[in-house]
Amino acid sequence: MKSTKLALSLFILFLLGAFLVGCSNESENTSTEGEGEGEEYSAENPLTLSFYSEDGAEKSFDDPVAQAITEKTGIKLDMQYPVGGNEETVPLMIASGDYPDLIFAKGDISKLIEAGGVIKLDDLIEEKGDNLKAMYGDQLDCLRNTIDDPSIYTVGTYGVEGAYWSTSGSFQIQLDVLRELGYPEIKTLEDFEAALTEYYEKYPEIDGQKTLPLSLLGSDWRWLITVGDPAAAVAGIPGDGQWAINDDTGEATYKFLLPELKEYFKWLNGMNDKGLLDSESFTHTYDTYISKLSSGRVLSIADQDWNIGDADKALVADGKEWRTYAPLPVTLGEEYVSQGLKDYGFAGGWGIAISSTSEHQEEAFEFLDWMASEEAQILTNWGIEGENYDIVDGERVMKEEDRERMNNDPDYSKETGVGYYVYPFPQWGNGAVDSNGQPITPNSEEDIINNFNTAEKEVLEEYQMENWIDWFPPTEELGVSNHGQAFNYSIQSGSELEIIQQKADDLTEQRITQAILGDPAEFDAAWESMIEELEAMNIEKANEEMTQKTKDVMELWGTN
Amino acid sequence: MSNLAKQGEGQSQIPATTSVKVGMGLGKQKKTPSLKPNKNGFWKRLSKQKALILMSLPFVLWLIVFKYIPIGGWVMAFQDYKPQFGLLEQKWVGWEHFKDLFDEPMFYRALENTIGMGVLGLVFGTITAIGFALLLNELRFITFKKWTQTISYLPHFVSWVIVANIVITMLSQDGVINNLLMGLGIINNPIAFMSNPDLFWGIVTAADVWKETGWNAIIYLAAMAGVDPQLYEAAKVDGASRWRQMWHITLPSIRAVIIVLLILNIGNLINIGFEKQMLLGNNIVAEKALVIDLYALDYGIGMFRYSFGTAIGIFKSVVSIILILICNGFAKRIGEGRVF
Repeated sequence: MKSTKLALSLFILFLLGAFLVGCSNESENTSTEGEGEGEEYSAENPLTLSFYSEDGAEKSFDDPVAQAITEKTGIKLDMQYPVGGNEETVPLMIASGDYPDLIFAKGDISKLIEAGGVIKLDDLIEEKGDNLKAMYGDQLDCLRNTIDDPSIYTVGTYGVEGAYWSTSGSFQIQLDVLRELGYPEIKTLEDFEAALTEYYEKYPEIDGQKTLPLSLLGSDWRWLITVGDPAAAVAGIPGDGQWAINDDTGEATYKFLLPELKEYFKWLNGMNDKGLLDSESFTHTYDTYISKLSSGRVLSIADQDWNIGDADKALVADGKEWRTYAPLPVTLGEEYVSQGLKDYGFAGGWGIAISSTSEHQEEAFEFLDWMASEEAQILTNWGIEGENYDIVDGERVMKEEDRERMNNDPDYSKETGVGYYVYPFPQWGNGAVDSNGQPITPNSEEDIINNFNTAEKEVLEEYQMENWIDWFPPTEELGVSNHGQAFNYSIQSGSELEIIQQKADDLTEQRITQAILGDPAEFDAAWESMIEELEAMNIEKANEEMTQKTKDVMELWGTN
Repeated sequence: MSNLAKQGEGQSQIPATTSVKVGMGLGKQKKTPSLKPNKNGFWKRLSKQKALILMSLPFVLWLIVFKYIPIGGWVMAFQDYKPQFGLLEQKWVGWEHFKDLFDEPMFYRALENTIGMGVLGLVFGTITAIGFALLLNELRFITFKKWTQTISYLPHFVSWVIVANIVITMLSQDGVINNLLMGLGIINNPIAFMSNPDLFWGIVTAADVWKETGWNAIIYLAAMAGVDPQLYEAAKVDGASRWRQMWHITLPSIRAVIIVLLILNIGNLINIGFEKQMLLGNNIVAEKALVIDLYALDYGIGMFRYSFGTAIGIFKSVVSIILILICNGFAKRIGEGRVF
């Protein structure tokens, strides 16, 4: 008996030993690899950098613009994107220690910094970041991480010198509704509901299908976009994610605690009760939602342009211009100011980082710096001269064919590469001009106005406006945000603030959805119990920490 | 599987035996007192069985490398684990993560949902699989039987992503089910299946049953194939109908298999995964859809709290072991086949 055990344990020890030796040998082998430094890369002999983008989609780096980039820099990108939800990719990356060369991790960047997965860029910018320095100028401070660790880890994502010539408003309404009702003025929820009701009564069906007066998309993370955000927007609260922040004092409140938001959801609850809200708003998938919008039977949405782009293009391609949407400055009442055109300043925060394990950090940085150059910005924004745009009288003019495709072909950007490599790389905003004084992006106000479809132009004429933004309080009146936007803050992962917010977000998504779909008589009670639950999870503590974060950011940026 | 099937067979041949020990994996041979081990005896027996030992060696190795060595990672649950440091350079925090876990109301909700859906899945999964196997077993037209069996286990190979989409589409307000019910005049207004939290457990169980019945029936069918035909003949002589034969011969003959599978499945009760719940769930039913694995994903790995996630994993293993011990003890008491 004893000898059996002894033999067995010896045997296991031997196995363990063999296994460990095997492992350590392997790691020694790999560490001797990785030569090829100081090599010159060119179009013929390009260097491939892996690039992970949290907002990426499946695409290879072979369109005409990509080829031009490779020609100029000798760099090719191997573009990686999150598969199946984007929440776990970065944590798994950290756990495996296997990083791509360039990482666009959005809010997860703080995890990478904490894990030492990305490098500080301060010295590189100082040494050879001339283009980046020219682009960011004195805004460079906004790229800094936190007050305790004021280094720069990322560059990019948001346009420098942004201008506000377009907005998605708090709601968007079908142009045909405006035309049919004789171009009414829609400023408050009351006007909005009246317009929808009137049109719905006239046309209970569109093209043989049931008309849906208002449709939301509350089944995935877009709940925050189509349900959470409009609630704050109608109350005149600037876009700070889940927070309502006093820009002067820095005081932050979890926004669903506010009575204004309750008022909005109560209205939605009423809409549902009256049958004006699409009953599948919280269960249909994104694809179903887009196909509903594309069919032209949804009268209004509470969404952002970037989320419904495909539907918009499909409608134009089908010749249903009157079924496309116009943004509305709807608020709870006249006393609230729509923040649709709010200038958040250059918010820094998210951006592209270079991984600490990359064997080509220098090249990666040079590539990012080149992307910030005027040459690169014109290439990525406009495409290739002679193919996508011409120079007429010394000015860049987009080709008619390209303009058309841009408006009604969802694959235009993906196929040609025009506009595909602007976000999330370092980029100039819509207000920036090049060394000849011409706009760097094709999104100048003139271009935006030219790009409106025929129906949009007709409606604008009826309202005697040039652009939808004429409906909104102008940017100058709203002032520039001192703290950027709260969702860009770098919050330590696993911290109490993050956990409380996650729990609060999960709770509010469920409770508010249930309250909206519930009986109006029970709405108040449902809301009260949600507030109680929020307080029970110590939301007060999160408010305090968020206030402190805001104050820190303002100190870091020198805007306090 | 064949091991189990054989056990069924073995038992049916000697129906008088009340307790049959079912060896799983590496059953250590119990020594009878007459074979008192001495050095010579051990080596002799070892060399006698060297072929068998060699054959089982790869699996022992596999077990050690993939099942035992990773247990070392459990120390993470007692640390404040940061992946950039080595396992031994971490800060030790003792039972803190477990305290956090047991203080968390969400965890208890997740536990309730996991066990609820686990039990439902186990009960209905077992009953339908046995029922289906019984019916298939009675079919005498072999070609039809084979086809039915193949078609019925095909859904097992379809990914949950696709199954969830089919289920959601079928149950939507203008989906097939609602159209059918309305067409038959059973209901006047479409039922919002996917937005009723009370229906969620049922929907998950039904989808699971549809997907897995055919697959789970295979093992029972194999056991039934081993039942001695003489028993049926004897029953027929005594005038037993087909139903009587199923009840008095087929089912008792495969009782040991059923119990062993039940014990193993109960041990896995808490490991029901999260794909079904994540893919079929939405914000309205989220309260009923939150399961432990999903909780570990969102509040553990997803938030970079590896230690917290590991603590959840340990908790799950402990619960599994306790459940298995209880069931095994129960099986022992009623004198049926058991796992160890």
